[in-house]
Amino acid sequence: MALVQQIQLQQGGPGARGRARRVTGSPALRMVGRRLLAVIPVLIGVSFLTFAIMSTLPNNTAQAILGLSASPAAVAQLNHSLGLDRPFWVQYWSWLINVLHGNFGTAVQGQSVNHELAIYVPTTLALLVYALVVSLALAIIVATLAARRPNGIADRINLTVSMLGLSTAPYAFAFLLIIIFAVKLGWFPVLSGPVTGPASFFRNLTLPAASIGFGLFAIYSRLLRADLVEQMQREDYIVTAKAKGVAPWRVLIRHALRNSLFNLITVIALNLGGLVGAVAIIETVFQVQGIGNDLITGISNHDLPLIQGITLVFALVTVAGNLLADILYAVLDPRIRYGSTTS
Amino acid sequence: MTDALLQVDDLRVTFAVGGREVRAVDGITFTVSPGATLAIIGESGSGKTVSCRAIMGLLPTGTAIGGSARLRGTELLGLSDAELRRHRGSDLAMVFQDPARSLNPTMRVGLQITEAITTHRTASKREAQAQAIELLRLVRIPAAERRFHEYPHQLSGGMRQRVMIAMALACRPKLLIADEATTALDVTTQAQIMELLLELQEELDMALIMISHDLGLAASYADEVIVMYAGKIVEQAPAAGLFGAGGAVRMRYTRALLDAIPHLERPAHTLLPVVGGRPPDPTALPPGCSFAPRCQYAEDDCRAKVPALAEHVPGHRWACWHPCENGAAPHD
Repeated sequence: MALVQQIQLQQGGPGARGRARRVTGSPALRMVGRRLLAVIPVLIGVSFLTFAIMSTLPNNTAQAILGLSASPAAVAQLNHSLGLDRPFWVQYWSWLINVLHGNFGTAVQGQSVNHELAIYVPTTLALLVYALVVSLALAIIVATLAARRPNGIADRINLTVSMLGLSTAPYAFAFLLIIIFAVKLGWFPVLSGPVTGPASFFRNLTLPAASIGFGLFAIYSRLLRADLVEQMQREDYIVTAKAKGVAPWRVLIRHALRNSLFNLITVIALNLGGLVGAVAIIETVFQVQGIGNDLITGISNHDLPLIQGITLVFALVTVAGNLLADILYAVLDPRIRYGSTTS
Repeated sequence: MTDALLQVDDLRVTFAVGGREVRAVDGITFTVSPGATLAIIGESGSGKTVSCRAIMGLLPTGTAIGGSARLRGTELLGLSDAELRRHRGSDLAMVFQDPARSLNPTMRVGLQITEAITTHRTASKREAQAQAIELLRLVRIPAAERRFHEYPHQLSGGMRQRVMIAMALACRPKLLIADEATTALDVTTQAQIMELLLELQEELDMALIMISHDLGLAASYADEVIVMYAGKIVEQAPAAGLFGAGGAVRMRYTRALLDAIPHLERPAHTLLPVVGGRPPDPTALPPGCSFAPRCQYAEDDCRAKVPALAEHVPGHRWACWHPCENGAAPHD
């Protein structure tokens, strides 16, 4: 709050008269503060749910470590030393306290979960951002072209491609990409290696990103196209712009596009959670060294500390994405930025 | 009539709605002289807005437009969009009804005005900004420099409409169409905006088409008045011929509109006269006079045959089989 007040003081001085409503703090800043506070219960809720779900499954962690030939006594012994025989809430509490100290625990195979996350999270984030940015950029371009002439050639092509994108499962599309671009053309590897720099980023992550991004592109471009067409037909300020003699392209890009981005941002933020599932599957298909792939491995090993750590990261990404969406609303819409209640 | 600024001849606009044709505007003819004020009066759906949008080329593609609209001899109907854009915003400008919705909410008002300037003229950013601030001053906006950088939501309704007017005046148009420009504003602001429009009209020597449902507004401000009903002109006269001494409203619909204006002299707690019934369904117009179903003076001939718009008194046209008598107010 001290920081917020300081910012207000800097905004004061000449010209600040008549802006008394800002005295209580910039609404946008306060919104960010409130949302950051709201992250904490979300993360606790997510981790608790994951813990609860995992603990209802038959517990075979020790069995998984020792192998099927291990004696029941040895399994019980290991379960005891891992603390897995304690009541559910005691286990959760000690995990939570450790996390608050920055320690995500030790995975079944003996490695530290912190270390695991440090290696795999950047790759997954890179993959996510790559898929999102490219599909979004293409969607904006294609949707604008399509909205220029509804039912024109660009619109029809986009409709066909988008229908394909919407109805194709990402993993099926992934295999198609592998067959064409990895096996036949040899442009990309079938299985992704570690990402070490820009060159290996493009080499290893392009096909996975395309597999994830195709469906996203389909959703984004159709949504934006529909929104643009609607704006162009219904909004009075579009008529105003046309009445000024502004060319159709400029009306579309300068006036309609910015106002159409709100729904798109909402959908992207909402989709982020579902994207986690796609990332896990696609990373497994391409053997990308990321947390999605790691999560699948962790689940088959009943590796609770690893699963918990990764779930928490995904939850954090989703929450951060939604916060970013809220900030973007404010950037795009001055009415939110200045916290106005009129119109 | 050779020196007319805008000459509209037999303008017809037809929409296709669900496979049926709707005649929104059915053969209207009028002239606007340079510097004159024409009021087009009518209810919602009478075709007044559609006629002006047709002239501006702002109707959706696929609308059938017939007839002719010449601006200083240049035919506007049938021009390509690119050709028409050269006139739109420069010779012909328009101010709309709802200033809250007619300004782009995510764009600073200054930029929306400079856009109107740079669309038609090459001007540096600095020049355009100086001109825009000048325009804001012209429409009597105080603290124009500060307002230039504000967003529409930071302005009051009247202020927004002033911005709309500033935008419309950016290229000093010869003709300004004000489409219900004061309807969405409160009464005090309405009067201010109307006064402003008339002052600017004088200052810039431009013609003004006022579209309104308010006959009182026309009586106070217009030189010439057109009353539209169901896509047709039903009465057309100089304002003096309708409202001045010795003049009179003849068409029954205009009379009904006039009677519906509340007067302070009227005794308190009496019912206001209203135009009964509802505007006709444009897809199913009656065979005779379109107003006949709502007209208390309608007789059998009204329901059988459409009255033609004819010049019964020099300068005064009306379309009615049983017009009001001159000087006699039939309701008194």
